[in-house]
Amino acid sequence: MAIAKMKKLTLIGLSREKEALIKELMSLGVVQISEQDARLSDESWSNVVRKDDAETASVKWETELERVDNALKLIDRFGDSKKPLISERKAIQTQEFEDALVKEYEIRRDVLKLTRLSRKLAHVLLAENRANIARMSLLPWKEYDIPAEQFATKATRVWQGVVPAGNDSADFLRILADKTQYTDAEVVHTDSEQHYISILFLAEELDAVQAALRDLGFNRIALPMAEGAVGEALAELEQELADIDAQKEDLIGKIRELKDCEPKLKLYHDELVMRRDCAAIRDKFLVTDSTFYLDGWFPRIAEDKLKALLTRYTCHFETADPEQDEQPPVLLLNGKLAEPFEAVTKLYSFPDYWGIDATAFFALPYALFFGMMLSDAAYGLLLMGITYFVKKKFTLEGMMKQLIDMFFFCGVFTLFWGLMFGSFFGDLITVVSSTFFGRTVNFPTLWFNPVEEPMTLLIFSYALGLLHILLAMGLGGYMSIRDGQPLDALFDVGFWYMLIIGLLLFMGAGMVPALPAGAPLFGKWMAIAGTLGIICTAGRHNKGITRITGGFTSLYDITGYLSDVLSYSRLLALGLATGVISSVFNTLGALGGPTLTGVILMIIAFSIGHPYNFAINALGSFVHSCRLQYVEFFGKFYQSGGVGFAPFCENTKYFKIIKEEQ
Amino acid sequence: MDVLTTAAESLLTGNFMALLGAAVAALAGIGSAIGVGIAGEAAAGVTAEDPSKFGQALLLQALPGTQGIYGLLIAFLIMNKVGLIGGSGMLELTLLQGALIFTSALPIGITGTLSAVAQGKTAAAGIMMIGKRPEEIAKGMVYAAMVETYAVLALLASFLMLNGITL
Repeated sequence: MAIAKMKKLTLIGLSREKEALIKELMSLGVVQISEQDARLSDESWSNVVRKDDAETASVKWETELERVDNALKLIDRFGDSKKPLISERKAIQTQEFEDALVKEYEIRRDVLKLTRLSRKLAHVLLAENRANIARMSLLPWKEYDIPAEQFATKATRVWQGVVPAGNDSADFLRILADKTQYTDAEVVHTDSEQHYISILFLAEELDAVQAALRDLGFNRIALPMAEGAVGEALAELEQELADIDAQKEDLIGKIRELKDCEPKLKLYHDELVMRRDCAAIRDKFLVTDSTFYLDGWFPRIAEDKLKALLTRYTCHFETADPEQDEQPPVLLLNGKLAEPFEAVTKLYSFPDYWGIDATAFFALPYALFFGMMLSDAAYGLLLMGITYFVKKKFTLEGMMKQLIDMFFFCGVFTLFWGLMFGSFFGDLITVVSSTFFGRTVNFPTLWFNPVEEPMTLLIFSYALGLLHILLAMGLGGYMSIRDGQPLDALFDVGFWYMLIIGLLLFMGAGMVPALPAGAPLFGKWMAIAGTLGIICTAGRHNKGITRITGGFTSLYDITGYLSDVLSYSRLLALGLATGVISSVFNTLGALGGPTLTGVILMIIAFSIGHPYNFAINALGSFVHSCRLQYVEFFGKFYQSGGVGFAPFCENTKYFKIIKEEQ
Repeated sequence: MDVLTTAAESLLTGNFMALLGAAVAALAGIGSAIGVGIAGEAAAGVTAEDPSKFGQALLLQALPGTQGIYGLLIAFLIMNKVGLIGGSGMLELTLLQGALIFTSALPIGITGTLSAVAQGKTAAAGIMMIGKRPEEIAKGMVYAAMVETYAVLALLASFLMLNGITL
């Protein structure tokens, strides 16, 4: 129901037990080990201890891990197995996990094979690329029959090159002939970009030819062949490419043969991750020749387990509550119903450790607002169905699981409001029954139809908003009281409560007959008292004249509260949007009348319109419900800036290791 | 001159004004098109760097699209009100009624268009942000939703005005 209480662990142990202890700490996964850099700059520490060497051990595993990663990628690329929509970690028993790794050498051999194949494949692909480039550059010269040996003889030279296609090739030949004595130029090929030209000239005339060609924008190129004519070289390249293709197929085939070892590779991958992490965590250890030191944070609820573990080792440890000036990491602990909404808190920012976790307080409003904005019974069922299916099909963890669970609850409230407002795919039932069956059947409306009575819903939205804001202010007051500042709670929250509630009573009590007759008058004086209180106290932190004026200027905040409440009109507007757009599609579908074409039209309008409307409005409801929490609700009290609790644990990718004893 | 006067007189009817209102409301779609376009350009840039961000970028890109929907919503309500769809033919409206309906379409028509462009820019900035920090997508969304508030308010104004007009 809040932020988990953290305790600090300080531990000194024997080096010979270090490895074993690290392993057990990882498997327990409740301690976040702190960096020690600050300690090392303190001389009284650095004289005695030094940083542990994590580098040598972790690099070895890191390299191996990279190899396994590449092998897995290779199988993934050629193994033609389908990629799942959502990646999940498979549960596995410790025993099974360890058994699978008994023959580690076999897995290593497969990794080695795959690494070799991958290297060969890279070579082949490189060769293929090179051959393709050569082929592309030779293709325009296909018809050119001067062999490469004759490009330079004793007295003659043959040059090949290109000029832009924009130049007139006839002009080129003429000007070249004019400027030089004995040259023979030939346009071999022309495509949309270039003329490909071959020039035969006397070696002694080189300078003149070069000068003429420069003026003509001739760009000399070297044909990628050593001997023979272009035709022969091309044929050779084709042959080479065919060979390469065969080699590639062969290699891919060999990779496919190895695809069955994928599960084992994944196991090995996870084992390597753990070994690497065990090695890398030593970066945060301080050591002497035979002892080591570490400190870190753990949640108080795990204290017993942690102590049970540590007492089995020859080590000295102390646990302590955090000091006020320390910033322990933040772990959110909430009940089953509120826990999914932690996702919304995390998307904003973790609360400060000394602040408050508001998840439990906004969980209900969040789902309620989401439901009001989507407000369609069918969409609610759809949302529940989709999230339920995803949960059944995949084993989800962390943020993803929380989001899916959260949307399930939101679906429940969408269904609820859909029933209240009588909306099932908008007015689908009414439209279909009156169009195709000739009599009007209405989906029952439990409360009222917001399109017909928008003002009722608008006022209801404002009322909900007001409650939401008052709750937020109340939490702010609670924090002040908890921190031993009850006067702050009275000044900053209590007086505002008096002002706002007083104003409401003063202006609105007349409309509610159930309230006693004196309520407006009472409200008036309450508001006045609240106002005076605010004027007298709001400037108390200021200095000089603003101490007095501050009270008056802070009264101006009333506009802020007003606009905050008005912001909840989106509950009505987005709700209307869902309903009206639904009926747009239903009306479109009904245009064909009670005919076969009409039915087909209806089906088309339904199957395009409603998924679209559902998707865009669910997104809108999510975003705007978040906004109402972040801006209107959190704005009143929330202290963010905490850092999430990231314990040293089995941070595996493919498997989740289940301990037998638990 | 006479021709123009006659044309103006025959056009300036309640029905014409009402339809003009529906048209103006639906014009909010222009803003959405521009806004989604702006966001889409940014999204393509970010996706080019990292194709796995496609989904996240798409979510943000969709946000400026709602103004067009709000416009369509009001246009539809107007058409429904004057009996153009779903009813038994268009009602005969007085010039005043038509003018009132036209006026009710202005908030969403104008605010919708302009706010969608602004929201498109904000969404594009949000998409740039997830290019660097994909975990902060919710913040990008909330920035965009801040802009949308005013489209929502305009929608509400249009809706309440339209709802209050009795024919």
